[in-house]
Amino acid sequence: MTEHRLRIDPADRPRATILIVPPLFDEANRLRRTLLLAMRALASEGFAAVLPDLPGQNESLVALETVALDDWQDALAEIAADLPGPVVIASIRGGALIDHGAKAAAWWRLAAVSGSSLMRTMMRARVAADREAGLTSSLESLQAAAQVAPLLLAGNALSPAMVAALGEAEAQPVQPLRSIALGTDGLAGTPLWLRAEPGEDAAMARAIAADIVAWSMACGIN
Amino acid sequence: MTEASSVDATLRALLADILGLGEERAAALTEDSGLFGALPEFDSMAVATVLTEMEDRLGIIIDDDEIDSEIFETYGNLLAFSLRKVTD
Repeated sequence: MTEHRLRIDPADRPRATILIVPPLFDEANRLRRTLLLAMRALASEGFAAVLPDLPGQNESLVALETVALDDWQDALAEIAADLPGPVVIASIRGGALIDHGAKAAAWWRLAAVSGSSLMRTMMRARVAADREAGLTSSLESLQAAAQVAPLLLAGNALSPAMVAALGEAEAQPVQPLRSIALGTDGLAGTPLWLRAEPGEDAAMARAIAADIVAWSMACGIN
Repeated sequence: MTEASSVDATLRALLADILGLGEERAAALTEDSGLFGALPEFDSMAVATVLTEMEDRLGIIIDDDEIDSEIFETYGNLLAFSLRKVTD
């Protein structure tokens, strides 16, 4: 099944296509508005920008509990192969865990996070929600339950394969790569993906676009 | 900066990031400021995010068993817990 791809094109023939790999789960929703602003800024610099839905995420019709982490990696590889080159992959947070199977001219990663950190937060949210509901669970009991049946974490039904793979997933080496964090030594902005209520940050979106453009040019894309 | 004031600054910045408080509201938090139950943004997902970010930014490991609802009652309680963990 072909998933929806949100695409913003420049006025003229694109200098390159930026394939945006969004953060995973709820973090994608919290950052989506700012990512769209960054895509518009990229288009104004002559780049096409594509934001695909991962199977089981956003508008996808696939049930998330049937999806494994490898499926996301494969889906991205297919999309990248389908795009007119050169392709630059720009991944944010957990997106960096699944971007290495695709072929690209360059990679750019913002605030890459380990799968175990994402899992820990979602498991803790489940434990806290259970506690409010008068139930007792722990990270250990959830981990055990996840070995035999899909586990519902913060609204996401994750398959045993997904829980196992995500818990061990780390961003893999790719070349050429610019990996950047937020802060004084990195990109100016706030970690909107952590925000309890979705927000947006136009200045951060411009900074994201500018950094991707500069890195693409450093990698020989004109 | 002393260790205590650095933990305090880290904690305020982290709450500002997660709860979208803005610098002013984050700076205005006092020991008695209520968190969980008092701030509508502070739901169970926010509690989980605060714990993971505390681990990352303060360089500590937090066990399930150490967490009770009192820790999140007030800013003062959360700060005291953090200081205890950092000096452990």
